[in-house]
Amino acid sequence: MAIVEEVAALRGQALAAIAQAADTAALEAVRVGVLGKSGTLTGYLRGMGQMPKEERAQVGKTVNEVRVEVEAALAARKEELAAAELAAAIDAAAVDVTLPGRAQQMGTRHLINGIIDEVSEIFLGLGYSVAEGPEVETCYYNFEALNAPADHPSRSLADTFYVVDRSGAECNVRGESDVLLRTQTSGVQVHAMEGRKLPIYVIAPGKVYRRDVADPSHLPQFHQIEGLVVDEGITFGDLKGTLDFLCKQVFGPERKTRFRAHFFPFTEPSAEVDVSCGICHGEGCRMCKGTGWLEILGCGMVDPNVLSMSGIDPEKYSGFAFGMGVERIACLKYNVPDLRMLLEGDMRFLRQF
Amino acid sequence: MKISLKWLSEYVDVPADTKAFCDRLDLTGTGVEGVEKTGAALDGVVVGHVQTCEAHPDSDHMHVVVVDVGAEEPVQIVCGAPNVAAGIKVPVATVGAVLPGDFKIKKSKLRGVTSCGMCCSRRELGMGTDHEGIWILPEDAPVGMPIADYLGLSDTVLDLEITPNRPDCLSVTGFAREVGAMYQCDWTDPLPAMAAELQLDATAVPVDETVSVDIEDAARCPRYTARVIRGCKVGPSPDWMVERLAAIGQRSINNIVDVTNYILFLFGQPLHAFDLGTLVGADGHANVVVRAAKEGEKLVTLDGEERSLTPDMTVIATPERGAVALAGVMGGLDTEVTDATVDILLEAATFEAGRTSRTSRNLGLISESSMRYERGVDDHGIEARSAAAAALVAAVSGGTVSRAAGNAWGIVDAWPRVSEAPRLQFRIPRFCAMMGADIPRDFVEDVLRRLGCEVGAGPDADALAVTAPTFRPDLVREIDLYEEVLRLWGMDRVPATLPGGRERVGVRTPEARAMDVVNATLRACGLNETMTYSFAEPGDLERLRMPREGLGEAVELINPLNAGQSVMRQSIVPGLLRSVAYNQSRGVRNVQLYETGIVFFAHEGKKQPKERRRVAGVLAGAMRDAGWNEAPAAFDFFDGKGVVESLARELALPKLRFKALSADEAPHLQPGRAAAVLSGGTELGWVGEVHPLAAEAFEAAAPVVAFELDVEALLRAARPARDYVDVPTLPAVSMDVAFVVDESVTCEKLMQCMASAGGKLLEDARLFDVYRDERRIGAHKKSMAFALTYRAADRTLTGEEADKAHERLVKKVCAATGAEVRG
Repeated sequence: MAIVEEVAALRGQALAAIAQAADTAALEAVRVGVLGKSGTLTGYLRGMGQMPKEERAQVGKTVNEVRVEVEAALAARKEELAAAELAAAIDAAAVDVTLPGRAQQMGTRHLINGIIDEVSEIFLGLGYSVAEGPEVETCYYNFEALNAPADHPSRSLADTFYVVDRSGAECNVRGESDVLLRTQTSGVQVHAMEGRKLPIYVIAPGKVYRRDVADPSHLPQFHQIEGLVVDEGITFGDLKGTLDFLCKQVFGPERKTRFRAHFFPFTEPSAEVDVSCGICHGEGCRMCKGTGWLEILGCGMVDPNVLSMSGIDPEKYSGFAFGMGVERIACLKYNVPDLRMLLEGDMRFLRQF
Repeated sequence: MKISLKWLSEYVDVPADTKAFCDRLDLTGTGVEGVEKTGAALDGVVVGHVQTCEAHPDSDHMHVVVVDVGAEEPVQIVCGAPNVAAGIKVPVATVGAVLPGDFKIKKSKLRGVTSCGMCCSRRELGMGTDHEGIWILPEDAPVGMPIADYLGLSDTVLDLEITPNRPDCLSVTGFAREVGAMYQCDWTDPLPAMAAELQLDATAVPVDETVSVDIEDAARCPRYTARVIRGCKVGPSPDWMVERLAAIGQRSINNIVDVTNYILFLFGQPLHAFDLGTLVGADGHANVVVRAAKEGEKLVTLDGEERSLTPDMTVIATPERGAVALAGVMGGLDTEVTDATVDILLEAATFEAGRTSRTSRNLGLISESSMRYERGVDDHGIEARSAAAAALVAAVSGGTVSRAAGNAWGIVDAWPRVSEAPRLQFRIPRFCAMMGADIPRDFVEDVLRRLGCEVGAGPDADALAVTAPTFRPDLVREIDLYEEVLRLWGMDRVPATLPGGRERVGVRTPEARAMDVVNATLRACGLNETMTYSFAEPGDLERLRMPREGLGEAVELINPLNAGQSVMRQSIVPGLLRSVAYNQSRGVRNVQLYETGIVFFAHEGKKQPKERRRVAGVLAGAMRDAGWNEAPAAFDFFDGKGVVESLARELALPKLRFKALSADEAPHLQPGRAAAVLSGGTELGWVGEVHPLAAEAFEAAAPVVAFELDVEALLRAARPARDYVDVPTLPAVSMDVAFVVDESVTCEKLMQCMASAGGKLLEDARLFDVYRDERRIGAHKKSMAFALTYRAADRTLTGEEADKAHERLVKKVCAATGAEVRG
């Protein structure tokens, strides 16, 4: 048989094999068998030298044509197979997207500190800085410098935790001591006035202690956020505006505030602030005990005695101060039914926030 | 304090709308804690008119009556009273009414006849003892009117929170003045008229001849007055006074004591009535001494308790009997007025506020008197209030009030310390500027006057000269007047503004920002922030097996709530271990907690303890339960260490090191799984697995991984800024090597050797395998495999160079540690 016919037969076989190749590996085997180093078609090209001269051109042309044709078929088939294989692989890799993902477990911030963060952020925005003070205080900073009379009932052993004074100093009230666990963060006010340049715009969040047995609505340790402003020209209206802004930020823009005249030794005039009940919106419900209002903080204009005691001229400067219970806000915002949960460390509680 | 609106309205117009009145009280500084309608107990009891009265067909004493009770239909009632008759008016308890004694009126049948209610006697209504028959009411009683209204029993009693600065509001008349100021309306003071009732017995022995008063210390008792009323007949009080007192929750005792209480509630003046006979000495003279109690002096007070007194308390005493009353707090049992009393000595005085407060606090004895004295009772006007009381005593007991030779009011008056009314200025423009509101001068003047101030023209046109009343001890400075005017003008009327101050910026301190990093990192590590008690149990450190050195002494509370919370914590870990136990006992096995907080170290000779901020964490169980595609490993030492490493990375702590802690150094940790955390030479704290015995002591199931670091040390070591290092652009050569070393050779040692031997070309060494096999590599040996990266900063490292460097490294490491390279 003439070589040209042999090549034509080879072409037919190769194209058939290509068409039949089931996967890319089989296709590669076909390619190697036909076009590889020792492939059948390659053999013809190699053998050209031994061929009679008059046949060479004809055979060469035929072989080349077949090669081009086979290569094209190979490429086409390869693409076909690759697409099919990718499709099959993709099919096989499909997952149930509702299976749980591989998430890193993130920890949580304690509810109380979360609220302190939120309030601090609000006051940072208003140009305040954040101050701190010691938890074990002297009577001076906790009471006297805040204008609390020496016989104020809140100083009693029933209300204030006193600490053994190891300085050897005698205390003038029986059973008490000059050292105590601070009952309010207001002492930070005094430290701030003593230590800072005027004007003062400061808040002081911190832990305070009162001698209450732990129950659903009391804890012997809880948190307050104290605020203090001392500047020229500070008005009661400024106090109102500031706390109104705070309440709207913390509780929502639709909430209202009201100021009720009250008495605190370290402010004058003094007020208690209520925020409108978020459940009944002022109509009166169980949450607000029918009043439509929820008490959230105490405040007032800094008493001139307190300013004087810290060396600030009350004729030139005025200021306001406020203090709020963080646990109280937590209860109002999140309806925590039992304050003791805040100190138990129950993972199921902590991880809700 | 309880205020009867019926009583109050005798002196001032009380708004008819109680809700609005309460709101106004709330806003002006008097908190309303409760509103109680009295007379409500007689709901359903009305005036009835008996239309017909017939004998009961089946009874010889009962009657069947038909009564008009003002309803559409008259009701039929079976009545057993002998005095029932047609045409009379009687109180009728209708069906549904509940009479005193929880007696509920129901529709019933009495011997076959239906009865829909009950005709009542006085006793059945709780209004006396008369039970002879039904209560026949006057003919003009309006049919159907609730009996409480008809008898004037309906009253509203407010429970008010009077702030400690307002002693004047602790009385009906003082409160009437407040209401007058609240509504800018006039009120009537009953005192002048009541005092004018006083009639002194011109024939009696003058009181100053039989009674003398000595005040030993004027600081304890600014004024003491005594008077004598003779020939009293102690007995029940008149109904009107019983009702008044009952309305505000006061039980009637006898006519004398009731008058003292009545005057106390009406004028805020505590009084005490002694049985004069018990005070008189052998010479017939009563010498009343106001003095300090003697140490250990005993007095049985009216409540029957024997009190042991101390010198900071003030007593009323006589030379014969010693202490007879605890000044301002409570009288003595032996000298009280009894049914046998005929002559009384009536005390009206004022005692120093602070001492009274401390005395009642120390004795746990709070009385209506002490509550008023500790807030301040006015020394002025005592003579008139005493006169009003005496006139009333005389009226209700038939006694006569003795005159005094030296005093027109009939009192022995010791008044060593006369309080002065403070003269204050009120600068209206300054007031308005400070409040941020335009409050008119007219209002200021009017309201101050209504509060009892004298108001005149000040030094200049914009200022007022104000004399504050002595019954307002809280009004001593200009600012005190500002408060009064503002609260009555209305805080709600002040426009809300924000301070416009200059020179202020809101910045967080570097410490606060570093704490944010600490918190964020710990949370990113999967730890949940918690809070535990700052209180500790005295043996907590021992229970934890933690050495006390460096922790000072525990801060001890003088008055702890309980023994388990009697000191302040010196470590956060005990609290966290309790929380681990809390969770485990509730079936929560995976616990990851941390807390930042203060620990307290006391030192002898120091007033205040050292407060250190610590951050501590505990890990128990695993990060979570096994899932469909992963099984988290149980926590061990390396999870705790990893948290510390993450903190170090985020805070850019230089030269972080972990040094093994021996059992002696850290007995609270499991030996071999305990390390000190250091940055350079500074110790920051520790990390390790809590010793199983320590965990058990807190009822926590081991293993529990824990760490505790000192925040200040951490923040001091932290570097605020980081240095930029060029990102490598030249290729690196990577090579692995496994060293077989003795168990005693630490990873740190190998890393140090490699770092020094590898020189500049060694960029990184990463431990990727630790392997132990007695058969293959020998006993007490381990193979540590490292992936090393070599790179030159300035050129492409050639294979030969890298090989040479690696060879040198391996040789040096082997020489320094006795390692062999594992083939």
